[in-house]
Amino acid sequence: MPASPTDEQLIKRWQDEPAPVLPLLHAFNERDGHISREGLEAISAGLRIPLANLHGSVTFYHHISGEPESRDRPRVCMGPICRLNGSEQLLHDLEGAEPMACAGRCDDPIPVLQADRALVGLSGDKLQQAPSPLPPLNPGGLEECCLASVREPDRATCSGYMRTGGYAALAKAREMEPEEILQVLEDSGLAGRGGAGFPTATKWRAVRDAQGGPKTLVCNADEGEPGCFKDRVLLDHDPHAILEGMAIAGLATGAARGFIYLRYEYPQTLAILERALEEAKEHLDGFEFCVRRGAGAYICGEETSLLNSLEGEHPFPRNRPPFPVTHGFEQTPTVVNNVETLASVAPILARGAEWYAGLGLGEHRGTKLISLSGDVLRPGNYEVPMGFPLKTLLFDWAGVPEGRKVQAVTMAGLSGGFLGAADLDVTLDEACLRAKGSFLGAGGIMVFDDRRDMFEIARQSMEFFASEACGKCFPCRIGTERLTERLSEPSGALAPEAWTEEVRAIGYTMIELSACGLGKSAPLITESLLRLFPEEVSAKLEAR
Amino acid sequence: MSLDLTLDGQVVPFQEGETLYEVASRHGDKIPTLCYDKRLDPLGACRLCVVEVEGANGPLASCTTPARAGMAVRTVTEDLERHRKTLVDLVLSENPKGAEIDPLRGLASQELAQLSVRYGSDGTRFAGATSGHSRFDDPNPMILRDYDNCISCYRCVRVCAEQEGDYAISITGRGFGTQISAEFDVDLEDSDCTFCGQCIQTCPTGALGDLRALQHADLPEPITATRSICPYCGVGCSLDLLTKGETLVGVQPAMDGPANEGALCIKGQFAWEWVQHPDRLTEPLVRKDGELVPATWEEALDRAAAGFAQAGAEHGRRSVYAVASGRAPHESAYSVQKFIRVNFGTNQIDNCSRA
Repeated sequence: MPASPTDEQLIKRWQDEPAPVLPLLHAFNERDGHISREGLEAISAGLRIPLANLHGSVTFYHHISGEPESRDRPRVCMGPICRLNGSEQLLHDLEGAEPMACAGRCDDPIPVLQADRALVGLSGDKLQQAPSPLPPLNPGGLEECCLASVREPDRATCSGYMRTGGYAALAKAREMEPEEILQVLEDSGLAGRGGAGFPTATKWRAVRDAQGGPKTLVCNADEGEPGCFKDRVLLDHDPHAILEGMAIAGLATGAARGFIYLRYEYPQTLAILERALEEAKEHLDGFEFCVRRGAGAYICGEETSLLNSLEGEHPFPRNRPPFPVTHGFEQTPTVVNNVETLASVAPILARGAEWYAGLGLGEHRGTKLISLSGDVLRPGNYEVPMGFPLKTLLFDWAGVPEGRKVQAVTMAGLSGGFLGAADLDVTLDEACLRAKGSFLGAGGIMVFDDRRDMFEIARQSMEFFASEACGKCFPCRIGTERLTERLSEPSGALAPEAWTEEVRAIGYTMIELSACGLGKSAPLITESLLRLFPEEVSAKLEAR
Repeated sequence: MSLDLTLDGQVVPFQEGETLYEVASRHGDKIPTLCYDKRLDPLGACRLCVVEVEGANGPLASCTTPARAGMAVRTVTEDLERHRKTLVDLVLSENPKGAEIDPLRGLASQELAQLSVRYGSDGTRFAGATSGHSRFDDPNPMILRDYDNCISCYRCVRVCAEQEGDYAISITGRGFGTQISAEFDVDLEDSDCTFCGQCIQTCPTGALGDLRALQHADLPEPITATRSICPYCGVGCSLDLLTKGETLVGVQPAMDGPANEGALCIKGQFAWEWVQHPDRLTEPLVRKDGELVPATWEEALDRAAAGFAQAGAEHGRRSVYAVASGRAPHESAYSVQKFIRVNFGTNQIDNCSRA
């Protein structure tokens, strides 16, 4: 067994690399089993970062800690779907286990993370390592974009990828002017698939045209939204598609360097990505990739928080303006794109803008991955045309258990709140969903049938937001806490009417005044609960 | 080219690079804030300074929004005031004691208390858990760490980093559980803290307080502030000497001091207790048979004059050298150099705190 590396060796390994803080923290954590005080002092001295700041940042993340032996402690998913599958019992049964926020495996519960091992199983004796489930075959036989080749055997290997048309789009892009690439993207109508829906070509063009450099590209793979597991399937089964998309983005924007910021909870994805990068070296010549593993923080999926995290700063979201396209990573012009967005790039370039645009229904362009989970017969990732009817996906494709009624579904994971049984006649696109007071976001939909206690689901949801709130802006920091308290126990005004008034007042100010999407969307949970389930709320309050 | 925007119906000019908050403050609007300190990079945390901008999707934090020509901005509307009341109620619900804070704690310590009056907040609406973990056990004799009153505006952390450059404290934890602490939560004296006291003075709730000043909290007289200049070094920091009756009870930096803009160091901020120290001389003493004994001013001055004259006569004018104390008033320091220059014709003068 080789001697474990010294502080000096670890620091030397990383200090001249871009974004060295997270990898160094992980290296010390791996060596020592926790982030020791001496280790942190060495990193502080080695990277010349004030010790107090470094210590503060470590305490921000879920999965790194100064507590001895903390790294190897099992973490059990406490996402809403895993709880329905008994994760609270599993947490109780596993010695020394800690709860963790939704770990993005709602289609195949229950994920348990232990150091670099991602296990899955419904009880302690059944835990095993297993690959991410492949998406079900498209039940409607509809043409797909991101998932079209994902089920091909060996698609995750470079040779398998090449055999199914891989890296052809990149070769084509190398022959094109950046403007031509941008034009294809613009004509395709591709927009940010992480939830914001910002036109990809506009973002890329802004970075290409921005003053200063070097220009940077970031693939946001910090998929932390409960009920969302689409990036995982893409990265696990089609990693080269993301690398190819990033390389094409580099050509179009002038960025020669790209980060993949991967959520901590996907260690097997990290290994897959590293192998893919190794295999695809010759294809990706001229573009530097840096994979950075997050350390457990939902807020780091917010792009400016992610950038601060990469830089080793406290991961609060930044104020905008300025925007990342001009002042991103280390204040350089930076594209931050979601995994799904980047995975769509190569197929669009290969098959043309019209093809992609035509995949949408009606006026909508392109497709969207939907992570469907909960009370359905066939949970999983589905690629649907933009504008696709929710009911078709729900009842015809995924199917609901015999004799059960869908009580509510969530939108945008948890961030879009609930849609009730009467709201299901919607199409999956932002215009339609926003008209219902919700939004599509990253495309996570959790289904709850008539067995479920929606007040309790709302409580768990708000508890998640409170636990993940960063602590920067007042309405969210205090509001998520107060709403969680009100859903959990008798607190504040007790009479149902006064209770409702308080919950609405807090939610209204959070929605209007919070500094980022977390605080703006968390109250959609309570708003939709009050709107859809007023009688259940009253009964719950009166029973207290 | 002049730049204009409309502020509450009035066309007002502004400079490129100004924020809406800066423009509005210049025009006399009292937009409430808690996380704002004009010396620091705006954080946009408290959200109290939100304004409505025509065409914008919801209210915007004025402290982080750059002014643009042609903007139509409203700083007071029914909706904004309702949000502000909700925010102040939320803050007070977490810090119910925030409305009653001794002003001796610090310069900005009344900000939350004033807002609680303005918005009629008493901490009962939205009542719930509190989050601060006070460090009353920190043995340092200067900085009170009463985090029960902390509202997580991070002005202390920011002033420590951005103004003082100490980076002694930072933000730990997350969300509602966020705390302010030095690395590994050590006591301040074991951290990089230089006890400049700037965190105390920018704290809007008195969660950080001046322990030395607070020793005089029980004196009944009102606080009087007298503007002065710190004598400890050549920077010339403006400060206010706080007195109650005849008692010096504290020092606060002057935000409008041209040399310091609200900054002080450990000496200017905390080293004033000697003024009222019982060991200080209160009458002239002369040495008789090797013992210092009380004397009249006339006798003492005669003895001193004779000594100076003798030294000059026997050893020449360069035999005398004067060092004024940094603890002496400026007027005394002035008199000492005048005395040496005029009487001995030399520049052999100095001050212990020459910098």
